[in-house]
Amino acid sequence: MRDGLEAAGWRQVSTWLRTVALVMALTLSAAAAPAEAHHSFGVAFDAEKTVTLTGTITKIEWTSPHTHVHADVKDATGRVVSWKFEGYPPTVLSRTGWKRDVTIKVGDTITMFGYRARDGSAFAHLREVTLADGKRLFFGPPPGTGEGGAVAK
Amino acid sequence: MIGRRIAIVSAFVAVLVPAALGAQGAAIQPTPRTADGKPDLTGVYQASTRRGPWDFEAPGDQPGQPAGRSTPVNASTRDAIPYQDWARDKAQEYLNRRSVDDPTTFCIPQPTPRITPVGLFPIQFVQTKDTIVILYEYFNVFRSIPIGRPLPDDIEPAFLGNSVARWDGDTMVIEASHFKEGGWVTNGAFTSDALRVTERFTRVDRDQINYEAVIEDPKVFTKPWTVRTTLMLREGARVREYVCNENNLDAERYREFLARPSLFTRTPPR
Repeated sequence: MRDGLEAAGWRQVSTWLRTVALVMALTLSAAAAPAEAHHSFGVAFDAEKTVTLTGTITKIEWTSPHTHVHADVKDATGRVVSWKFEGYPPTVLSRTGWKRDVTIKVGDTITMFGYRARDGSAFAHLREVTLADGKRLFFGPPPGTGEGGAVAK
Repeated sequence: MIGRRIAIVSAFVAVLVPAALGAQGAAIQPTPRTADGKPDLTGVYQASTRRGPWDFEAPGDQPGQPAGRSTPVNASTRDAIPYQDWARDKAQEYLNRRSVDDPTTFCIPQPTPRITPVGLFPIQFVQTKDTIVILYEYFNVFRSIPIGRPLPDDIEPAFLGNSVARWDGDTMVIEASHFKEGGWVTNGAFTSDALRVTERFTRVDRDQINYEAVIEDPKVFTKPWTVRTTLMLREGARVREYVCNENNLDAERYREFLARPSLFTRTPPR
């Protein structure tokens, strides 16, 4: 398991840069058309706890309101942990370049970048997937989506 | 008559300025019109500030992202919400709880404008001479709205309210009222059964609808407030099935969270 807060070297720098970019993107898009999602990001997920994991897909639920990707990921001790990731519904994925059971399918090895569940379980909001060929695609909205502002105004 | 005159002028402009270009270099084409000269809103749109088809290979053209390669045609704005004092406290509490109370978690359709200018989900207008129908992918709901006729007298309070439409020049004005109590018009901005939303749709050219919603609720707000944005034509996109309750695991998950509020509640910045 490679956690963005713990890993050393380039991956950590890359993760931080990506996080900074996402925060900037979120700030810039705050006044734009609302990227309304099904529910608040912040209740279940922690924008401060990024995670980057490489694993093998065991199951994909192409369902609304969220598509779920289940993947087996080896942790630092070699133990296999079954992770679950949540993202856009199939209609949104389709409009943004995903092809059901083509872009990703059971058995594929992919790298997943996302935000961990607040309860510390093996569950995360999946922001971006890196495919085996290096291609990167967003799988879910940036952090904060659906959460609204910090102050009622 | 006025509509015909506008149509003629529009056609004249279209001929005179064939090279008129949009922000992304796409030609600006005139507003389509119906046989009676009214603007024809028919089409599939999505809340966006970008003209033309999405380039989903471009990170900036992903939904929920600021403009990347494309240039925004119009910025979106929203007035500060004029909450009554007690209502501001309540809305603040909702935000402090990170919107765990948001009715959308339970797949409850929400009042416009919350469901209309949505970055992730398209809407479709189907316009006839006496009816405007709006189909929403978000929650898979619809509004079938009479043009130029009053509300029937047997209406029930509804999640989407009850709406009537009229033309104000080239602008389609839709007034919605008789909502069910408790919808959120934006995150934390809860409303009562006195909610009234007046939407104005102006298709300024083929690709762009200027959208404005004036929100009134004398039980919650001190005065009307306005949301403005643009709806952009999405050629090739279609409204698809989104059945929110198909696999909605969040309702149960949120109940577990509610038993542990310290996990997610926050203190807002001053």
